[in-house]
Amino acid sequence: MEIGDCYVGWATDEDIRTRGASGGLVTAMLAAALEKGLVEAVVVLKKLGEFEAVPVVTSDPEEVKAAAGSMHSVPIVLSRYLEYGTKVALPAKPCDARSTIEQAKRGQVDIDTTYIVGLNCGGTMHPAMTRKMLETVYKLDPEEIAGEEIDKGKLIFETKDGKEHAIKIDELEEEGYGRRESCQYCAVNIPTMADIACGNWGVIGDLAGKGTFVEINTEKGIAILENAIDAGAVEITPADDKGKVIRAKVDGAMMKVAAAANEKYLAPIEGSHLDYYMNALKDCIHCGACKTVCPVCACGETAKCTEFSSAADTYKMSLFHLVRFVHLMDSCIGCGQCTDVCPADIPLTHIYQRFAVPMQEEFEYKPGMDMTTPPFFGVDLIEEGH
Amino acid sequence: MAEATGTTGTEEWQPKIVMFCCNWCSYGGADSAGMGRFQMPPTVRVIRVMCSGRMDPVFILNAFLEGADGVIFSGCHIGDCHYVSGNYKATIKYKFLKAMVNELGLEDERLKLDWISASEGERYAQVVTEFTEQIKKVGPSPLKPEGVI
Ligand SMILES: Cc1cc2nc3c(=O)[nH]c(=O)nc-3n(C[C@H](O)[C@H](O)[C@H](O)COP(=O)(O)OP(=O)(O)OC[C@H]3O[C@@H](n4cnc5c(N)ncnc54)[C@H](O)[C@@H]3O)c2cc1C
Ligand code: SF4
Ligand code: SF4
Ligand code: SF4
Ligand code: FES
Repeated sequence: MEIGDCYVGWATDEDIRTRGASGGLVTAMLAAALEKGLVEAVVVLKKLGEFEAVPVVTSDPEEVKAAAGSMHSVPIVLSRYLEYGTKVALPAKPCDARSTIEQAKRGQVDIDTTYIVGLNCGGTMHPAMTRKMLETVYKLDPEEIAGEEIDKGKLIFETKDGKEHAIKIDELEEEGYGRRESCQYCAVNIPTMADIACGNWGVIGDLAGKGTFVEINTEKGIAILENAIDAGAVEITPADDKGKVIRAKVDGAMMKVAAAANEKYLAPIEGSHLDYYMNALKDCIHCGACKTVCPVCACGETAKCTEFSSAADTYKMSLFHLVRFVHLMDSCIGCGQCTDVCPADIPLTHIYQRFAVPMQEEFEYKPGMDMTTPPFFGVDLIEEGH
Repeated sequence: MAEATGTTGTEEWQPKIVMFCCNWCSYGGADSAGMGRFQMPPTVRVIRVMCSGRMDPVFILNAFLEGADGVIFSGCHIGDCHYVSGNYKATIKYKFLKAMVNELGLEDERLKLDWISASEGERYAQVVTEFTEQIKKVGPSPLKPEGVI
């Protein structure tokens, strides 16, 4: 097995295979990593309901197996739950993987002991929005939902009576439902920065829906897949060329859609920028939630943005946000966590991206894509020989 | 610091400028300007930092929030920093801050980085004079809190 190889694989255990999103390869691989001692812990989403899950760090393979399946309405980034030095594996959407790498660059995560099992990602939805959408657009009772999947551009809900209800995602998004805004303009669909990238794109023929396409990106990727094969937990077959082409095509099409969304949501501000930002941030109650969830922020409890700022000192604008605008210019990956948690409904991701993207473009620094470029002003200092 | 003596009439609006000077060069430059009795407007409040590399974006942002109409930060010329590379670091922080201040919608003219050595008293006065003129043109900062002049 070599870096760059592509396979289609599935879990040998029938229960995992059927409950998994596309053959259960990821679940089987994570569970085998625990069982064989490759890692001490795995981060997974513990399902609480159809639209609710909490991240858990577990050493119990059964808990990993119970977490099989993709949850499209749980937009939680898992990288915050990694602990330095623990041998750990995590399933990772591009935003999970990219933030893991940004944390590693800042010494918060030990990349050598962290196995990033990448998941392709076309987007996630906010759970509260999902419920509202079910009631108003699908005319379904959220409590009656038994399952959900995305297929051929449609968002399909299965109700407990076994019926399927499909609506095109484009149509949903035109009405303000569907994927979170940040996911609509997120242009990274295949986690090339993860140790191994898994997804259902490119699985064709008899295996469609029953197998997971995997691309090996690193030595760690080889280790975690070979470990699962040795344990008898997964089987693989080389991916055929047609599958690879289809996967690349879908990825390209999705990137175009993301670029269009980017132009729509991040169109230049008309009129005074200062008025726009003052107005956008005027409802901030300084709860700090947006900082707490930010998966690329490497500060702990005591951070510059919180220590030097208080609501009482906020005359025309909050220093908390001004500091964070600068601090996140090189690292904001547009994951959407801040917007999701803001009790004042401030479109924070949108705002932070406005500051970050132009700088990232100027420095040609795309955060979280590899371990080789150092963060912030490290880039220039190294070039200048300091 | 150097006593600034120049006045430009009582009725004309005088901007408030916060200037961060590094201990080893620019602060010395301010002293030289005073000793050389170079004329400059009394618009600047100098804050001494050990090195321009110590400049934290939080200082500058806070200066604006507290009512500064303009902020200068200055240090030793490139190659002369007493801590070797502090001013390189300052340059990069400045780049980020400048981009941030521009996106925020504050006028570009309100933030300036300049290198002033301890012997450049005349240049110090010139930087202060020119920057003051520049700020007068753009007027009071829109971030100035109510009630602060
Ligand atoms: C939100 C989302 C969107 C996706 N979109 C695409 C796509 O557009 N194209 C594509 O090819 N593949 C996509 N995938 C990947 C695909 O759905 C499968 O996860 C992948 O093919 C692996 O299948 P599996 O059966 O091996 O995984 P499983 O064995 O089902 O394991 C899935 C693992 O992912 C974890 N997980 C589930 N939901 C999340 C979540 N929201 N965030 C983080 N971890 C989670 C579970 O805890 C579990 O460990 C997406 C996955 C997710 C989670
Ligand atoms: S931000 Fe990107 S990677 Fe993260 S959930 Fe949304 S689409 Fe997926
Ligand atoms: S600022 Fe918001 S969008 Fe950017 S990385 Fe942090 S949580 Fe994600
Ligand atoms: S989550 Fe919202 S209200 Fe809380 S500090 Fe952040 S912006 Fe302000
Ligand atoms: S000591 Fe003057 S810039 Fe570093």
